[in-house]
Amino acid sequence: MTRKIVSGLLGVVIALAVGALIMFFQGYEPFATYAALAQFSLGGMAPLTTTLKNAVPLVLTGLSAAIAFASGPVNLGQPGQLVFGALAATLGGLYINLPPALEIPLLMVFAILGGALWSGLAGLLRQAFDMSEFIVTLMLNMIADFFTAWAIAYPFMDHKAFSPMTPRIAQSGWIPDLGPLNSSVLVLIAAVAIMWFVFQRWRAGYEWRITGQNSLFARLGGCDVRSNFMAVMLVTGALAGLAGGLVVMGGPHRFIKGLGANYAWDGIMIAIMANNGLIETLIYGLFVAAIQTGALGMELITNVPSEIAQVLQAVLVLVIVATREYAALIFDRLAARRQASVRKERAA
Amino acid sequence: MNDFISLERIVKVYPPSVLAVDSVSVEFRKGEIHSIVGENGAGKSTLMKLLYGLIPFDSGTVKMNGAPVRFHTPGDAIARGIGMVHQEIELIPQYAVWENVVLGAEPVRGPAGTLDTKRAIELVRQKIDEFQFNLDPLAQVDRISVAARQKVEILKLLYRNVSVLILDEPTAVLTPQEIPQLFAELKRLRDKGNTILFISHRLDEVLELSDRITVMRKGKKIATVAASETDKEALAQMMVGRQVIFTSKRTPHARGASVFEAKNLSVARRDGLKKLDDVSFEVRAGEIVGIAGVEGNGQFELVNSIMGLAAPSAGTVAVGGRSLSGLSILERRKLVSFVPQDRGKMGASLAASILDNAIMTHHRLEARFAAWRGLVLNYKHAREFADTLAKRFSVQMASRQNQFRSLSGGNQQKVILGRELLLSTPFFLMDQPTRGLDVGSIEYVHGEILAMREADRAVLVISADLEELFLIADRILVMHRGQIVADLKTEKTTIEEVGRYMLEGRVSA
Repeated sequence: MTRKIVSGLLGVVIALAVGALIMFFQGYEPFATYAALAQFSLGGMAPLTTTLKNAVPLVLTGLSAAIAFASGPVNLGQPGQLVFGALAATLGGLYINLPPALEIPLLMVFAILGGALWSGLAGLLRQAFDMSEFIVTLMLNMIADFFTAWAIAYPFMDHKAFSPMTPRIAQSGWIPDLGPLNSSVLVLIAAVAIMWFVFQRWRAGYEWRITGQNSLFARLGGCDVRSNFMAVMLVTGALAGLAGGLVVMGGPHRFIKGLGANYAWDGIMIAIMANNGLIETLIYGLFVAAIQTGALGMELITNVPSEIAQVLQAVLVLVIVATREYAALIFDRLAARRQASVRKERAA
Repeated sequence: MNDFISLERIVKVYPPSVLAVDSVSVEFRKGEIHSIVGENGAGKSTLMKLLYGLIPFDSGTVKMNGAPVRFHTPGDAIARGIGMVHQEIELIPQYAVWENVVLGAEPVRGPAGTLDTKRAIELVRQKIDEFQFNLDPLAQVDRISVAARQKVEILKLLYRNVSVLILDEPTAVLTPQEIPQLFAELKRLRDKGNTILFISHRLDEVLELSDRITVMRKGKKIATVAASETDKEALAQMMVGRQVIFTSKRTPHARGASVFEAKNLSVARRDGLKKLDDVSFEVRAGEIVGIAGVEGNGQFELVNSIMGLAAPSAGTVAVGGRSLSGLSILERRKLVSFVPQDRGKMGASLAASILDNAIMTHHRLEARFAAWRGLVLNYKHAREFADTLAKRFSVQMASRQNQFRSLSGGNQQKVILGRELLLSTPFFLMDQPTRGLDVGSIEYVHGEILAMREADRAVLVISADLEELFLIADRILVMHRGQIVADLKTEKTTIEEVGRYMLEGRVSA
């Protein structure tokens, strides 16, 4: 546990140092840049709540990837599942108008179903034709991308707008702000808590974990690996779909072209940084959200382009993963040397 | 002194904290066969790999003829005449014997350095003749027997003018008939002035072969003794640290009704080759049936058919009169307990906690593990269960939350065995239940298997270790090319007879 924290912190520090070097050689001032980054992501109520809101799709897609990878299925379809969830929530919000207490949960269910539909398709193709979900989910991302682009440019386009987008969803489906904080953050916290409980305490979660580590053992132990596979695909698709729904309901309140952005790919990176740990995904997701949020403000007061945030993010992933593996090696070797020297003294 | 190679106070710690070799000092003389014996994990292989330069040691000195040397790679060691044959044979199967032998040190001719095939074959043939190895240098390696392949490995070293041969458990892959031949060859090598360092844990072999024997236990050297001045019991006591009983504790026990029944079971490959050919047998309550056979003669297919990993092409398997065909693995697990041969691949998840490994299958079959209508696992019961299991089967563990891989092999097997025993099924299938375990753990596992027999459960043990089968089995079935070629009562047969069935499928007059 302490090892995990030490190697994680070490990774972040080294990554920030590498980022500083890159900025330095580009002729920027690293410390001023980091100060601006921190100020616009964490320095005050408004930046902090923006960071939290931006963390919602990152952590949810990260959770989706982490649970999938830790349970076996290589679901890389979060981008497609996210836009499908967003589209489903948007369509619900366009045609159904209920009081907010019903409308908001309903649209979230729509988003969940939309994401699960798209991942479930990949799961079915795997079970029926043994098609690798790794490649199928990637391909389905493309289809989802173009399908939603078509949907918002033709059947569901807002004819008053100049670029492809749907009209606004019913106002009762907008996720309200609680003071400065968008309440989609509460949904995120609930989702993390529920998923942790499912993964760590449910019988299904136990079987998912074991299957992810050694599926033959799980199978011989009597776990139904086929239905578990399908369940994991559906749940992880649902999480990505929910992320899409919350983006629509908490933000532009409509499906705008390019809505999915890079959320899902960033989420997959976060899962990799977190080594598929659920709590770790939450922590790294918040961290990445802070960098992305801060970068936008930073651009305003320094002459550093906000793209540096992407560079920083890439460096983070590489350094954190490398540090984790290397730190484990070094910790082990240090322990070994300590013991050998004790032996030597005793022998002498 | 004629102490040719000496190791002085060698220490090796495997990161993070496994003390594999603990300040070991030992001398090897020129022209002797020196065996290193010890249980699994005693550090005998590690010690030899340190000498060979395969892994670095943390402190200590190696001396040759009194002068300190340090080998950083196996190449350094070979240059000074020390070579090692590993447990797993590492040859290129598609190459001929001579090609494998010269690989890496080929005779060449001409400015372009082209391979001098003719001279290479001639050189290899010379070595074969010199040591009377009875090998065809032109034979392709995948067409020759395992014993012959082992000879090729030894030949590789002799070709490189190695005079100190380290052999890591060479007999583990051989049949009983092939072992005397290997020993004769090793003795011939010694008589020509070579030194043989022989790693083993089979004491009969070691006593027969060696001039001197070094015993290791838990990383420490216990003693070096002359083979002529010791015996099996004394060695075993040094190895284990207490007295070991080699005779079977099997007492007469009445057989009950038939529990397991295989009827005309066949598994055909896609090309029609029958990996399992019309196999029929039964196991009764209170009976231990052993299956002997060289690996790959249908045991794998038999296990898969019973466990439901693969459907047989013909025939049926039944437990307690209930046919298993069409049953899911979970349904089968209500009737069959299973200890697989590969702990890390089939028997456990090494990355999961001991607790998570202990509750597998139970978590589905027993109501007390379920809460919320089976949705949630009752971890309170799970923890209690893991502790009960650890206590009942004396598993040495720091914490049940630790990773399974932190356990020693013997303790891993105890967890798996305990988990399966506590399933209280009528039929117990065990595939190589003691493979890779030390003597103490083997004794323990055998005791538990015999206790199952007392409890009137039906046990089927598949084992490559004939001595094991003779210790515990009531009947021994021999598998050869997918068929059961012999059904022998343990009291009325011998290891030699079973060995002949294993090799030839019949006993020739």
